[in-house]
Parts: sequence; C-alpha cells; structure tokens
Amino acid sequence: MNSNRQAILRIIGYSIFCAAILAVPLFVDDAYLLNKFARYLVFGILSLALSLSWGYAGILNLGQAVSFGLGSYCMAMALKLRTIPIQTGAGGLPDFMVWNNVKTLPWFWQPFHSYTFAIFAGIAVPTVVAFLLGWFVFRARVNGVYIAIITLAMLVVINLVIIDQQSYTGGFNGITDLTTLTLFGIAFDAYSTATYYLAAITLSLCLFLGLAFVNSKTGLILQAIRDDETRVWYFGYDVAAYQNFIFCVSAAIAGFAGMLYTLVMEFASPTFLGVPISLSIVIWCAVGGRSSLVGSALGAIVVTGVQGSLSETPAFLDIWMLIMGALFIFVVLFLPNGIISLVDVIARSRARHSRDTAAEPIQAAKRSEAISRQSVSR
Amino acid sequence: MEGKNFLELKKIAVEFSGFQAVSDLDLDVAKGELRCLIGPNGAGKTTALDVICGKVKPKAGQITLNGQDITRLPEYRIARRGVGRKFQVPSFFRELSVRDNLEVAYCKRLGVFSNVVRFRRGAETDGLEKLAELVGLQDFLDQPAGFLSHGQTQWLEIALLLAQNSELILMDEPTAGMTSQETMHTAKIFNALKGRHTLVVVEHDMAFVREISDIITVMHQGKVLAEGRAADIQSDPQVMEAYLGSGGILHA
Repeated sequence: MNSNRQAILRIIGYSIFCAAILAVPLFVDDAYLLNKFARYLVFGILSLALSLSWGYAGILNLGQAVSFGLGSYCMAMALKLRTIPIQTGAGGLPDFMVWNNVKTLPWFWQPFHSYTFAIFAGIAVPTVVAFLLGWFVFRARVNGVYIAIITLAMLVVINLVIIDQQSYTGGFNGITDLTTLTLFGIAFDAYSTATYYLAAITLSLCLFLGLAFVNSKTGLILQAIRDDETRVWYFGYDVAAYQNFIFCVSAAIAGFAGMLYTLVMEFASPTFLGVPISLSIVIWCAVGGRSSLVGSALGAIVVTGVQGSLSETPAFLDIWMLIMGALFIFVVLFLPNGIISLVDVIARSRARHSRDTAAEPIQAAKRSEAISRQSVSR
Repeated sequence: MEGKNFLELKKIAVEFSGFQAVSDLDLDVAKGELRCLIGPNGAGKTTALDVICGKVKPKAGQITLNGQDITRLPEYRIARRGVGRKFQVPSFFRELSVRDNLEVAYCKRLGVFSNVVRFRRGAETDGLEKLAELVGLQDFLDQPAGFLSHGQTQWLEIALLLAQNSELILMDEPTAGMTSQETMHTAKIFNALKGRHTLVVVEHDMAFVREISDIITVMHQGKVLAEGRAADIQSDPQVMEAYLGSGGILHA
C-alpha cells in the first residue's frame, strides 16, 4: 500500500525501543540488576547479528558463538595484561601461564598490550575467520542445512582448540581476574551505568545502521537471495560475494558483542563459544522474529529475561525449563514470524476493519479495470 | 567479431550421466532476431537454453556471444555479458513485493559495496512503474509476489527480464498457463522487443510462434531437424514425421 508510511512507522517503533532501553538506568538503581540488563542487551546485539545473516539472507549460522567468543577473548587478553597482580612470574605473565610453565609471553599476546589493537582485533579476528570459512562455503555454493552443519562443526573445533591450548588460553577456566577497562577517562566497571549505556548505545546504533542496511539495495538483493538464490545468479549478481559479505558483517557485530560481554561478565570463558549459547541465539532470533532486527533483539531480551527471573524465583525452580519450553512451542505454533509479528497482526486486523467498511467496492473495480486493460501502451 | 551472428553455438554436446541430451547442435542467431525453438518433448530445447545461459556446461563445442567465447564462464558472468533467462518453472522472489522484484532485476551496478550506500525509492523506480503497467501489474506493485496468480507470475517474469534489459533474452515457455488473449498480448510485447533485443524463445503454442517468429528452429532428439519460416517448417516431411507421435505440429 504505502511503503513510505510503513517505513516511518518502523523508524518510530525502533526509536521507542531505543529510548526505552536508554531510559532504564533512570529507573533502576540496583547495580546488580543493571548488570543483568546489560547482559540481556549484549545478547540482543548478538541475536540481531544472526538476524542479519539468517533472517535477511537465509544463512543459518549455528556457529555464531565463534565470533562472539573470539571477540570476548580479544578483550579479555587486553584486560588481563593490565591486571596489576598478574606478576606472579617474570615479565608480567598472566597467572595461568605461570602455572602452565610458560616462560615468555607468546607472540600473539604481545600486541594486546594496546587497547586500540585489542578492540580492532575483537572485530577483525571474527571477521577474518568468517571470511575464510565463507569463502570456501559460498564459492562452493553450499546452501541450506549444510551451512548450519559446517558452521556448527567449526564452532566445536574452535571450542576444543581453545580448551586444549590451556597454556595460552586458560583452558576450561578461560581468562579471569581482569582489570576494568578505562577509555577516555571512563571506567567501564561491570556494575556501572557506563557499561550499561555502552551496551544500550551499541544496540541502538546496530539497530539503526542495520535498518539502513537492510533497506539498501544490497539488503534487498540479500533478501532476494534468501527467496531464490539460483535466480539471483542469473541476474548477474555474484551471490557468493553477497553472502560472504553479510556473513562477515554478522561476525563483526557478534565479535563486538563478545567484547562487551567480557566487560559485563568480567571474564572470558570457552562456554562463550559453546554449542548451548550458539543454539540459544537461534532460539532468541526465532522467538523474537528473525526477519526483524528489533524483533530478534527483543527476542533475546525477553527469553533471557524470563529465563533469568524464572530460574531465580524459588517457586519456579523446578519447572522453569518446562515453562520456557512451552513458550517456544507457543511461539513456533502461533507466531511463526516471532513475537514482533504481533505488531503486524494487530495493524493488519485494524486496517482490514477500516477497509471492509469503506473501500472494498473500489478495490474490486480497480482490479477488473486492470484485467481489461490489455493494450500495449508504447 | 566475424559475420552477422550475435549468438553462435558450434557443435554443442551435452550429456547427463550417459544420456546424450544435445549433440552436434549448431545454432546461429542474428542480432535483433527473434528465434523460436520448437520440437517434441525431450528434444533438448530447454537444455539448449541452459547451455547458453551457463546453467549447464557442454561436454563439447563452443558458444560465442558477440564474437566472444562464453562457453566456460560462470552463469553470473554470462548474465553480465547481457544474457537474461526466464525459466520454465516461474522463479522470482515470493516474499518480496512486485516492486522489489523488479528492483532486483534492474541494476546497473552489481557489486556488493556499490550497493551498500544505495537506497531504494529513487527516481529510477519511475521506469519500473511504467514497466509494471506494460504487463498489467501496476496495481500489485506493493504486494508480495507470492500472492500473484500463476498467469500474473508469468507476466512478472517477463517484466523482470525487461527490467534486466539484457541484449539477449532467453524465454522458456513464456505463455504456459496464459489465456489466448494474454498470449496475444505477450506476442505484441515480444514483437516490440525485436530489433532492440535478440530473443530465443522455446514454445509449444504454434499460434503464438506463428505470431512472433522470423525463423523457427525445429529440434528433435538433441539435434536441429529443420530451420526456416513457419510455412516451410509445417510442410517439411521430416518435421511432420518427428511430430507424429505427439499430435502433429498443426495441433495448436
């Protein structure tokens, strides 16, 4: 009908969402709660990243946590090197390296003395990993469920490598006892409003940049690829390049979310790139609405929020998993496009209501006129 | 570039795990010509289109477009050289609106990065609206393409090819499922395209073929059986024999 009005409504909706998450610290004083909410927002960013590749381009990445974990480790490495009591051994070695008889700081740890490098790496490393995998997968025209299997396998491999290389990665324990990140004179303590705002502003930026992106021509072509990949090749587009591009963008955002997660949790752990979290992202995305950026972010916040409050309430201690399961089944059965589709459902039923009363005869007349207009006008 | 021919197939052979779908196929199409490919089922007509657009790679032979060898190019590079293809099974983007479908097809720059900063709803969409009018879809521009009827999807596909604006357009059964009135409308559009575009059309509907064709190529069992104007083809004894099993060429 009028796509302009729809676009404006969407921008208003996104603005309300962003205003709401930015306003939370005004009403919440409790540092513990704020930290919890910041965690949910980070999951929201992560879920949004998957929505870009899965919802908009049809690439079901079950290894999204690879990017998340790598970003998290990059940040943790930089913070670890600045921790004061690390000097249990010679040359300012992190404690776990000393326990593992490492004598000198490995070469790939060296550049993490610089925050600038660490933040760059937190985005670049996941992107490069995604690019290399994407190069092989998309050039070979692998699609559908096979991408899911390959990315899941990749996740398991990287997870094992990180656990196995205990002397360089801290193994099962991950990297703990971190200092607080201080940038431009602001200390991003896990329980501070600064960290919450960092997460909220990042999510807001991702939402609006993402919205602009999916409305660009590249965004449109990606959606066409999702619908019918083969057809797009025959229009002359290099489909593999488009797929790899969105795969990398998604990885970069997930990497950034991983860095934020280290700040919020104050450690990095191999569980951050574990299978459970990676599959959870898919669930968040599906529950919220995978082909809506704000929907997928909302899905992550709602699911982890409900999960958190149920599992902490004594009454639900035994059955909270059942309730979560029921929620998923309900959404899959009745809202296949996610919670966010409620907005569409309501809008459509209202529109139908007003159209039924007034415009139906006009529509029918227009349609028959269109059919009878058979002459070529040139 | 040598000679008059825009598209040349030389001794093309295609094999599907032992089955010889096309063998020794020669086809020359002049610039601006509309060539019809007809033949009984299994004659290799669709395979011939597949080979030209790069969907299927030939086992032997050479394809040149505008004098350049395109035999071994991947399909998207062939498309960039100016080859557009309509498939037998309607294939378009169901979840996108009709307008968005056309916008995907209409593109001057095909790179990822050049399209990131390009936003839709530009001035260029005016042309797309005219195009939608030409095929009678102007009232459906903002509807998801998945809601269109079968006949309308055929129109949409024709519009997609027009939006893509390829020099060479390959059509596989464009009028399948159309009413005779719609078929004649399609014939008018095709006749208007002649000259500016080169077309290769696979079709069963002889009334339609007679309406649009200059030269008809009849294929049978993966080879060219006859070539000529409609009247000559219909009186060709070989063609009549090939068609005997399937009701005869005059059936339509």
